[in-house]
Amino acid sequence: MKNLMEHMGVEPGRLQFSWISSAESTKFVDVVTKVTESVKALGPNTNYVKKSAAKV
Amino acid sequence: MESYIGKIKEISERLLNDGTVECVVGFRKGTVALTNEPCMITKASDVKDLVWDSNCRLNLANYLTGRKEKIAVIAKGCDSRNIVNHIIENKISREQLVIIGVPCKGMVDKNNPESLQSNCATCTHRNPVIYDELCGELVEEQTDVDKYEDVRAVEAMETQEKWAFFEELLSGCTRCYACKNACPLCYCPTCFVDESQPQWIGKGTDPIDVRTYHFLRAYHCAGRCTDCGACEAACPQNIKVRQFTKKLEKDCNELYGWEAGLTVDQRPPLDSFKLDDPDKFIM
Amino acid sequence: MKVIKIDKKTWAGGINSLRSGYRLIGPVVKGDAHDFAELASDEAPDMAFGNTRLSPKSVIFPQSEPMFTYSLDESDPEHHILKDSTKDYSPRAVIGMRPCDAKAISLVRMNFDTPDYRDPYWMDAYDATTFVGLACDNPCTTCFCTSAGCGPYHEEGLDVLLSDCGDAYEAKALTEKGEKLLAAAGWDAEGDVSIFEPKKADAEAKITCTVETGNLRGKNSLDLYDAPFWKELSFACINCGTCTYTCPTCWCFDIQDENKGKEGVRMRNWDSCMTSLFTMHGSGHNPRTEKHQRFRQRFMHKLKYFVDKYDKGLMCVGCGRCVQQCPANIDIRTICNKMNGYEAAS
Ligand code: SF4
Ligand code: SF4
Ligand code: SF4
Ligand code: SF4
Ligand code: SF4
Repeated sequence: MKNLMEHMGVEPGRLQFSWISSAESTKFVDVVTKVTESVKALGPNTNYVKKSAAKV
Repeated sequence: MESYIGKIKEISERLLNDGTVECVVGFRKGTVALTNEPCMITKASDVKDLVWDSNCRLNLANYLTGRKEKIAVIAKGCDSRNIVNHIIENKISREQLVIIGVPCKGMVDKNNPESLQSNCATCTHRNPVIYDELCGELVEEQTDVDKYEDVRAVEAMETQEKWAFFEELLSGCTRCYACKNACPLCYCPTCFVDESQPQWIGKGTDPIDVRTYHFLRAYHCAGRCTDCGACEAACPQNIKVRQFTKKLEKDCNELYGWEAGLTVDQRPPLDSFKLDDPDKFIM
Repeated sequence: MKVIKIDKKTWAGGINSLRSGYRLIGPVVKGDAHDFAELASDEAPDMAFGNTRLSPKSVIFPQSEPMFTYSLDESDPEHHILKDSTKDYSPRAVIGMRPCDAKAISLVRMNFDTPDYRDPYWMDAYDATTFVGLACDNPCTTCFCTSAGCGPYHEEGLDVLLSDCGDAYEAKALTEKGEKLLAAAGWDAEGDVSIFEPKKADAEAKITCTVETGNLRGKNSLDLYDAPFWKELSFACINCGTCTYTCPTCWCFDIQDENKGKEGVRMRNWDSCMTSLFTMHGSGHNPRTEKHQRFRQRFMHKLKYFVDKYDKGLMCVGCGRCVQQCPANIDIRTICNKMNGYEAAS
C-alpha cells in the first residue's frame, strides 16, 4: 500500500504504518510525535486531494 | 501457434462426446481484425467454430467464476495461473475443470500486430502451470528478459514527476471499467466503486476519483495479478493500466519471492503470516 | 439553402474569426486517437481523422455534469437548499463532426425534449450549439450507417455540411444557425451544389457492410425478449461501459451527490445499462441480475423498444464504435441480423 502510494507520487512520509501494543504508551507518543513532525515538514497535501466536489 | 487448433478441436470433441464435460470455454473467430471472441461450446458439432491464434488476448479464467458445471477450458500460461488463483480462492473447484493447456508464444499487440503485447514479450510462464491435456510441445521459457524496466523508470522519478506521470497516464480514462471487468481477479459481488453507502469514491470523472479507482483496483490485485495483460488489452483508450499492478507484482516478487498462480499448494503471501515477513514499512 | 466555397487558404482565418462569437470544439489528437475537445485559442481542428474514439455527445451531454450545489453547514441560512450550478451556455460550435454523430444527437433529443419534459441542461447546451459536419469520403471498415438510417452525407441534425474537395471545402448551409456561422467566419464565396450528389453516391458505395432491419418493427417484443439466443450471444461480454460510453446515441445517466466537508454538489454521470447497479432498486431488488439480461436490454433498447416507441428507425446510427472497441468482440451487426431474422417457434 505504502509502496504503491509512493510509486504514484504521494510523498514518502505522508502515509506511515506502525504497530503499537496497548502497553506501549511511550512508543505511541513517540510515533505520533514523529508522524506529526514529518507530515508538518511536508506541508499540506496538494497532490492527492480532490480539489472540490464541484469542479468539472 | 495456429497449429494447436487441430489438437484443441480433437480434445474438445472427445471431452464433449464422452460426457466428461458439459462445455468447452475457448475462442471463436472475431468479426473484426485482430480480435477473437470468447465462447462456450456445448455441442460437439460446434467444435469446428473454435480458433486459436495470437489474438486470444482475454483471460478465459474470467469466464469460469462461480460456474457450477463441468468445464473444459483452453488455457495459455497466464490463463492457467489465473485458474490456479481461482481454485485457491474457491471461485471454481479443480474437479470441475479439464484444463486444455496451450504452450503460448505470446499474443500480438492489438494496436501493433507486428509486435507482441508488452506483457507477453517479457513473460516467463508461457507454458501452462497446470493442465490435464496439452495441445502441443511445451515451449522454451524466456529467461533473459527484463520484466520491470518500466517500473524502475518510474521508481527513479521524483515525487512530483511520478504524480505527473500517472496524471498523464490516466488522462483519457472514462471509467468504463473494462479493465477490471476483463480481469479474472475482479469478482466481488459489488465493487467498491459502485458502493454508495458509504460512497468510497466519487462516481464522476474527477482525476482524483479516477486515480483512486486505479490505485485501489491495483491494490486489490496485490499478490494475485499474473500480469496476463487482459486489463490493458481490454482498455478502449489504450491506457497502460498495468503500470499500477506491475509495481505490486514486482514488490511481491522482491519482498516475498512470490509469483501469483504458480501452484495450488501454497497460500499467497498477503493471505498468510510468517514470522520472517518483511516489515520495512512499519516504523 | 446556400452553398459556400471555403478555400482552404481562408480556413484558418475563418476559424479564428469564429472564436470571438463561439466556443469552438473540434477533433484533436489525444494520445493515440482523435477525440473532440474544446480548442485552445491557437488550436485548429484537425480535420484529417477517420472517426473519433468517443463521440462528440459529451459536448451537449458531459460525462460528469454538476446540476445543483448545496451547503450542509447549518449555520448557513440557506443550508440544504439546492441551487442551480453556474453554467456557460454561450454560443458554441462543433467543427467537423461526422454526419452519423449529428444524426445521433437528433435521436437523443427525442429523449431529452418531449412534449412533457424538457431537460434543461441538455436542451440549453443543444440550443447553444451550431453543428458543422464533415462528410465522410473514406468511411471506416466497421461503418454500417447506410443501413442504419444514416449515411456519409446525411444532413439530419447538422447546421452546415462540409465536403472536402481537395483545396477547398464546399459548405452546405442547412439551417439559419449554419448560415450565421458561415457569415461570422467571413466565408462567402459562391459554392457548387452539384458536387454533393456524386460525392455522396461515391461515399455510400464504399460502405459495404450492412445490417438487416426490415423485420424488427413487426416482431413481437416478447418473442424477441424470450428468444433463446441471449445467453449464448452474451457469453463473451464482460459488462463494461465501453459500448454505451462510446455510443453517440446512449443517453442514460445516474444522479449522485458528492460532498466535500460541508459543501456538496449534485451531479449526473453517464450510466450504462450493462452494469448491474443500473437497475438496482432502493429496496435492494434488482430485476437484471444476470449478464444476459443486461446485454439484452442494450440491444432491445436500440433495436426494438426505440424502434417501436418513436417509429424513427434504429437507435443506432451505424458508427461502428462499439464494434471496434468492445474488448470481447460483441458485434451489434451480428446481433441485429439475428434479431431481425428470428422467428419464434409457435
Ligand atoms: S490486473 Fe490485469 S494483468 Fe493482472 S491478472 Fe488482472 S487482468 Fe491480468
Ligand atoms: S478500461 Fe481504460 S478507460 Fe476503461 S476504466 Fe480501465 S483504464 Fe479507464
Ligand atoms: S458488449 Fe462489449 S463493450 Fe459492451 S459491455 Fe459487453 S464487453 Fe463491454
Ligand atoms: S450502437 Fe454502436 S454502431 Fe450503433 S451508434 Fe452506438 S456505438 Fe455506433
Ligand atoms: S442502450 Fe442502455 S445505456 Fe444506452 S440508452 Fe439504452 S438503456 Fe441507456
